[in-house]
Amino acid sequence: MMIRSALVVPAFACTLGVAVSAQWLNQPTPSIPRTADGKPNLSAPAPRTADGRPDLSGLWNRISPKYSRNVAADLKPGDVQPWAQALVEERRENLGKGYMNTICVPFGPSYVTSADTTGAEQMKIVQTPSLVIILNPDLTYRQVYMDGRALERDPNPAWMGYAVGRWDGDTLVVESNGYNDRTWLDHDGHPHTEALRMTERYHRRDFGHMDVDITYSDPKAYAKPWTVSVRAELAADTEMIEFVCSERDANPGLAHWVGKASDERKASVAVARDILAKYVGTYVEQPKYWRLEARTVVISVSGDTLYGDMDGRGKVPLIAQSPTLFTGLYGLGVGFVTDSRGAPTAMYVKHVSGDYRFAPKQ
Amino acid sequence: MRVRVLHVLAMVAVGVCVRPAFGQWLKYPTTGVPRTKDGKVNLSAPAPRSNGKPDFSGIWLTGNPIPCNKATGADFLDCGAELPLARDAINIGVTLPGGLPYQPWAAELVKKRTADQAKDDPHVRCLPDTFIRSYGLPHLQKFIQVPGLLVMIDEMNASYRQIFTDGRPLPADPVPSWNGWSSAVWEGDTLVVKSNGFRDDLWLDIAGSPLTDAAKTVERIRRPDYGHLEIELTVEDPKAYTRPWTVHLKQQIVVDTDLVDEICLENEKSSQHMK
Repeated sequence: MMIRSALVVPAFACTLGVAVSAQWLNQPTPSIPRTADGKPNLSAPAPRTADGRPDLSGLWNRISPKYSRNVAADLKPGDVQPWAQALVEERRENLGKGYMNTICVPFGPSYVTSADTTGAEQMKIVQTPSLVIILNPDLTYRQVYMDGRALERDPNPAWMGYAVGRWDGDTLVVESNGYNDRTWLDHDGHPHTEALRMTERYHRRDFGHMDVDITYSDPKAYAKPWTVSVRAELAADTEMIEFVCSERDANPGLAHWVGKASDERKASVAVARDILAKYVGTYVEQPKYWRLEARTVVISVSGDTLYGDMDGRGKVPLIAQSPTLFTGLYGLGVGFVTDSRGAPTAMYVKHVSGDYRFAPKQ
Repeated sequence: MRVRVLHVLAMVAVGVCVRPAFGQWLKYPTTGVPRTKDGKVNLSAPAPRSNGKPDFSGIWLTGNPIPCNKATGADFLDCGAELPLARDAINIGVTLPGGLPYQPWAAELVKKRTADQAKDDPHVRCLPDTFIRSYGLPHLQKFIQVPGLLVMIDEMNASYRQIFTDGRPLPADPVPSWNGWSSAVWEGDTLVVKSNGFRDDLWLDIAGSPLTDAAKTVERIRRPDYGHLEIELTVEDPKAYTRPWTVHLKQQIVVDTDLVDEICLENEKSSQHMK
């Protein structure tokens, strides 16, 4: 029987300090503009292909704090059809079970606005003159046809949809349709029908930065079309790590997701208004760990209730569990650390992965 | 079940009599296909080239299919439904005298997996196929070749594989992955692809031939003419096999259609019955 040579390496060899692990996660990307100190020059001009078009190819990190969570954050009540709004509330009450990552199905139309979601947080664009493909960390691909064909008139609904692209000056305009109705447009659970039409506009401002505007049109679910904006930053000198959602044997974890979101109200306590009033303000995440942008939480008060809004996703009531501990921030907890006068010196957003510190903005 | 078949059945059931407008892309003509006088694809035309090298771009299926003769009663399981299943997809060592050179534990494992009718096959559990299986399974693959990268996208789970052609060395301590990590160089008109970093306990075929995390593979890919790819695959995996072994896989081009994604976990109800 073969003995793997690694087993007989003496322990002290580990102190050699040579960084050999997974070099492609640190592999310099060839042929990119760099500054004098060897870092990628993200402000260099955007590259062009031989036919003079902007070249969008590359590995990109998406930044989309608000719309990945709530794609309808800027809409008014009434812009969302009643059945769709009811579905959002039902999905929230059910703790978000059925979101694509919980049942290991593709994100469909939601890749383009997803960030901070394992499997959809990056995209690798490979641009050829007649076809642009987009690779996602969850090992899915998307094809955008650049050969002038029209969109499918009567598409067979598919997870990844059907997309065609054309150039409008230096902006790539992608039209897509034919998405099946099994995906959510965001974490909050905004639905869409099979009639969804999306228009995405990709503009690479400079070497390291791209703006993406997405317009949704789905009259049976939303009263009128609307547009959201996300952005992307080039992820140079690294490579995607695959995310195989179903590796955990589909979804055994879901069996433990018992209860409802409204259960939080059962243990709620009353907190005096003068205590709540001291929490009002804006808090900024510090440190931001791996995030490209620090999160922001705005705390406000109305009557006896504290409210929180993270990154403009939407104001939600916080449910007091104690004078300093609240739940209800889209499933996250909120804890305040106060000084002797009750003024907050720090706020913690509490997640299963840990407590994330936010500093009050002066 | 294949989406194409379902859709056709649904259309018939609804009784739509107008000229079917659905799925035009399933019949959209591919540009630049060399054709004979009678309009058929000229499989023997010269292979296209880009940047001074053969270009492998195109949609491909196995060129070594199990013969499928419905008149003799061959059915879905034998023929892979509308798209062909490769002989090597059932047992990748089928052309080797004596079969694959299994280590004794691997030979026992293959016997057990065959007796169990491959119920633990990761493919059946909706997990990724390695690129080796993708060459032989009944799903279209599209190869897209650009400078620095060859991407193979696959209908199965709308998946893909990357082969880096920018000259990078293989990682010395790779993160184990389902497809491994692949880097390739040209030797004349042959693309030589080396791969490492495979996740342990992968399956190479329906028989259950294993691929372990010790494996290193080499594919030597040639496009002798427009319609064909030849892939000489060498697997060196001392944990599972007593010596390296080489098989010859073939691909044949597919035109005038496009990929339809098959998402295995959509309404997956089979595994609960496969105990």
